[in-house]
Amino acid sequence: MSIARSGLQKDVLKLYRRALRMANSKPEAVRPKFRLFVQYTFRSNASKVSPRDVSSIEHLLRKGGKQLEQFEDSAVKDCFLSQAMVEWGLNGPGTRKALE
Amino acid sequence: MQSLLTATRSNQLSLGKRAFSSSVSRWQAVPQQKPVLMKEFKIYRWNPDQPEKKPELESFKIDLNQTGPMVLDALIKIKNEVDPTLTFRRSCREGICGSCAMNIDGQNTLACLCRIDREGSKDTKIYPLPHMYVVKDLVPDMTLFYKQYKSIQPWLQNDNPPSGTEHLQSPEDRKKLDGMYECILCACCSTSCPSYWWNQDEYLCPATLMQAYRWLADSRDTNGAERREKLQNEMSLYRCHTIFNCSRTCPKGLNPAQAIAQLKLELATE
Repeated sequence: MSIARSGLQKDVLKLYRRALRMANSKPEAVRPKFRLFVQYTFRSNASKVSPRDVSSIEHLLRKGGKQLEQFEDSAVKDCFLSQAMVEWGLNGPGTRKALE
Repeated sequence: MQSLLTATRSNQLSLGKRAFSSSVSRWQAVPQQKPVLMKEFKIYRWNPDQPEKKPELESFKIDLNQTGPMVLDALIKIKNEVDPTLTFRRSCREGICGSCAMNIDGQNTLACLCRIDREGSKDTKIYPLPHMYVVKDLVPDMTLFYKQYKSIQPWLQNDNPPSGTEHLQSPEDRKKLDGMYECILCACCSTSCPSYWWNQDEYLCPATLMQAYRWLADSRDTNGAERREKLQNEMSLYRCHTIFNCSRTCPKGLNPAQAIAQLKLELATE
């Protein structure tokens, strides 16, 4: 039995899924970089807004969708990881740890 | 007697050189003291960096006699002198680039073509274009609008272009494009259209439809059949219910509604 989710939650997860798929569509060598970029961006934005703040979540969704559209272009073959992203990645991004 | 003489002489001397205040050059140089005419502008503010803060109207008071005549002048003055974080698009300041489209006192128009109402007691409200996502302050997100414009393929398509010469066109054929080619894609008409408000994703907006007809009407374009085929559905064109907001608001004085009507006629009679 799956959890009942609101439309907004579904939209957010849909965007996240699309972003992870985008990472998987990139060349094998840079895939981990894209993956870390997506995870970091998603989690850092998610930790900044309250789950009740619908309008800012919608704004972030639009912003993310537009950004993702550019990344989905097959001409994009690499992405930049900031120092903060790399450090966060070393601490195990899979552990759903909220960013401070 | 002696003293009287000296008195008149000194009098003559002093008459000989006039005081600075009464000289001709001083007369001309009196600065015209313009009265202070304060006017309140209420401007929509929203900052994406603080998405948790709700959008609000911020009030600015400036002296109209120290400002240019147009709303854009006032906005630039506010940005320069009062609040540098105020954000809006502007470029040509003469109504040819279409960047400064915004909603001024309830009317979509170009800020550079809209005169400031000099009634000091009444405030002027400035909002971004209605029913568009806001990027920041007065800057709307035009992505969808441009995408729709792209979807009608706004370029000349001709299978067998004349070799070695230009595409020739008779003056009569050229005349058909008047009133359509002048469109600067400021999106004032599109964002004033209720049909577009409710069906932004499917209904091509008035500006786009006018451009669609502009390429259909072009005698040099041979791709008319395909262009018509694309519009032949319920949503793209026929969501226009001849509301005429587009023609009323167009800051360039064009008539998108007429172009759409002709487009409908052409599609209905083909």
